[in-house]
Amino acid sequence: MVPLLLRFVAGARAAGLRVSTSEVLDCLQHLGRIDPLEEAQFKSVLQANFAKSRREQAHFERLYRLFFHELRQDLSIARSPELAETIQSILQSLQPAAGTDPSTQALVDFLAGDPAGLLEHASARSGGAGSPRSVASAGGSSAGRRRELADRIRMLEEQLTEVLAGRRDELGWEERRDLSAHFQDRLNAARRLLAQSIENRPVSTERLRSFRHGVDELGEVHFASLTPREVEAMREAIAQLVRRLKDRISRRQTARRRGMLDVKKTLRRAAAYEGVPLEVFHRRRPPRKAKIVTLCDVSGSVWSAARFMLNMLYSLQGCFAQVRSFIFVAGVQEVSEIFKQHAVNAAIEKILKEADIDYNAATDYGRSLREFRQHYLDILNRQTTLIVIGDGRCNYTHPEERLLAQMRERCRRLIWLNPEARQFWYSGDSEMRVFEAVCDEVRPCQNLNQLLAFITALVL
Amino acid sequence: METASQFEDVAHVRAALEGAGYICSPGVATVVFLAQATRKPILVEGPAGVGKTELAKAVARCLNRELIRLQCYEGLDEAKALYEWEYAKQLLYTQMVKEKIGDVVAGARSIAEAVDRIAAQEDAFFSERFIQPRPLLQAISAEHPVVLLIDEVDKSDPEFEAFLLEVLSDFQVSIPELGTRRALHIPFVVLTSNDSRDMSDALKRRCLHLYIDYPDRDLELKIVRLKLPLIGDRLAFQLVDAVRRIRALDLKKKPAISETLDWAQSLVALQVEELSLEVLRETLNVICKHRSDVQLVREKIEKGFSVAPGPLTAES
Repeated sequence: MVPLLLRFVAGARAAGLRVSTSEVLDCLQHLGRIDPLEEAQFKSVLQANFAKSRREQAHFERLYRLFFHELRQDLSIARSPELAETIQSILQSLQPAAGTDPSTQALVDFLAGDPAGLLEHASARSGGAGSPRSVASAGGSSAGRRRELADRIRMLEEQLTEVLAGRRDELGWEERRDLSAHFQDRLNAARRLLAQSIENRPVSTERLRSFRHGVDELGEVHFASLTPREVEAMREAIAQLVRRLKDRISRRQTARRRGMLDVKKTLRRAAAYEGVPLEVFHRRRPPRKAKIVTLCDVSGSVWSAARFMLNMLYSLQGCFAQVRSFIFVAGVQEVSEIFKQHAVNAAIEKILKEADIDYNAATDYGRSLREFRQHYLDILNRQTTLIVIGDGRCNYTHPEERLLAQMRERCRRLIWLNPEARQFWYSGDSEMRVFEAVCDEVRPCQNLNQLLAFITALVL
Repeated sequence: METASQFEDVAHVRAALEGAGYICSPGVATVVFLAQATRKPILVEGPAGVGKTELAKAVARCLNRELIRLQCYEGLDEAKALYEWEYAKQLLYTQMVKEKIGDVVAGARSIAEAVDRIAAQEDAFFSERFIQPRPLLQAISAEHPVVLLIDEVDKSDPEFEAFLLEVLSDFQVSIPELGTRRALHIPFVVLTSNDSRDMSDALKRRCLHLYIDYPDRDLELKIVRLKLPLIGDRLAFQLVDAVRRIRALDLKKKPAISETLDWAQSLVALQVEELSLEVLRETLNVICKHRSDVQLVREKIEKGFSVAPGPLTAES
């Protein structure tokens, strides 16, 4: 029982589940108290000890099924104890062929009954997040690595056939038949494992396991170059980040909210103690919340950054007194209502589909600013932070920066986020230099890390 | 109802819980059994309304133990969770024994001696008499084994979580004036969490983790029948099916078991024999707690979301 469990733990760790030694000890102790032959009990013991959060459950389920139902190497080896030695020696003879190549080595280990290496290989994240050696051997891409592993499996299959044929003199045909069936089983199991890791690569668990790591990696990807799948992952990452940020904000606010001594309340309570002020009360300051007005350029590349910013802002809505948002290409439209009525993600989709805006028009900052001033200038006041997202490319029309300056006069601060890299800001039809002079702050906002830094600075 | 002081095995747990009016899956029973056998706390997670708190109550009922509940919230601190000195009572006693203080100090030759004499009396004021035990201290100093329910632990602050960790690992509490209190009996501890924030790894490591999900069809049916013996077979089937199908929709708050039971109760009260779309539309507010959810289900009904008048064994 102990070696079996340890093997499972090793496999689980290799596949990205965090299991501590004390948990393994606990689990062993628990297994002694239940009937391990009854699977429901056995499984829930493992689950209670190893999968300690909701997100790890699915991952655990998968590993459990894989290890105890689909691999089951122990059974097949135990079924033929007299063959075990032969198997060992054959695998030994494969060792030189495996050489220093880690993926072949992992496969040989797998044939010997240790799936850890292969699991690690199969579930290493794309983009080189896995161990450095696997990157070196497979050129980084996960599809490439899988293809390579599939090749290795085929090679190994051929080698095994050869080895078995070479030992025709030592082994009887029945033995050889059993051996070849055994290896075939194992190799097929390896293939299944590989196929499965394509089907349901545990994106979320994998990423959340080393969450910081995942964000770092995803955080540096330019918004515009995200694949649809990465967009999904991004949303999840944002939801997590927002949750953490909210935690921090609420802690800050409780600390900061303690205000002056509340004399009335303290004296009133002191009356109960013969006028001794045993309990002292403080006033609570209401947290100061900013009003946010966003003005988003929704033409092409800018929109990809703007949507994530809107997503974050609206997820943090409770931290602001009010959030109003406007989108523009050539002309302004308010979209706050859409956000009020729908969940954030649905709202963003809806805006793209339904908002009364000509997405194909040439961006005209001047006209958009004029319209904004005409209709909405009165919503800007001293509590308002105005955030503009745009690349400042006016298609050689007049930028009307003095309108922006007027708006700046009326609000607390004006922040411009530019989704372009800084070196392109002042080239071509970009009027960033003109706009920059008017703004309190100009930030590049190309990826999640920059956006997160901005939002954190904004709310804290 | 049969009560026992100990669970003997997993099957016993299941039977005992059922006797206490709580039907659970084998997984839940196993974890409860282990928690009792190894005296580890259980951390229960799951959507709201699947019976996390009820589990603790049921365990208390069937072990015939007292249930001590600590409801967590933001800003909860040791004073409210562990103990507090009763200032008012102390002050009142001081007033009443004022003259006695004169007696104690009488005859002292120097101030230092008077202070020493008063200091010798200090214990009189920082003693059991003036301490107000809060749930954690109550659970630790209880004469008989208890069930300690720490509800919605994710709502508490991280500092409180660290403090809780200390209490849960040693089951002892030190009160500076009185010394260390060690638990006479290790309580059966259940922590519940709604996943509104991640608990620290250290806390998780000390606990058995239990995730309670929405029950499967048979389990839910059994629960409905247990809680509402009066309900008709046909209605119970339709009800559970309908809830399951509504749960499959993309709602803000999915109906949990508690909503199923509320709904069943309302239907019984309305003397409904058979669930029709009409009835569903009118009683939707019982199962969907958000306006947008109600709207979504209504829309689905308009579009021909078949919910009730199907055959007894619906496809699922």
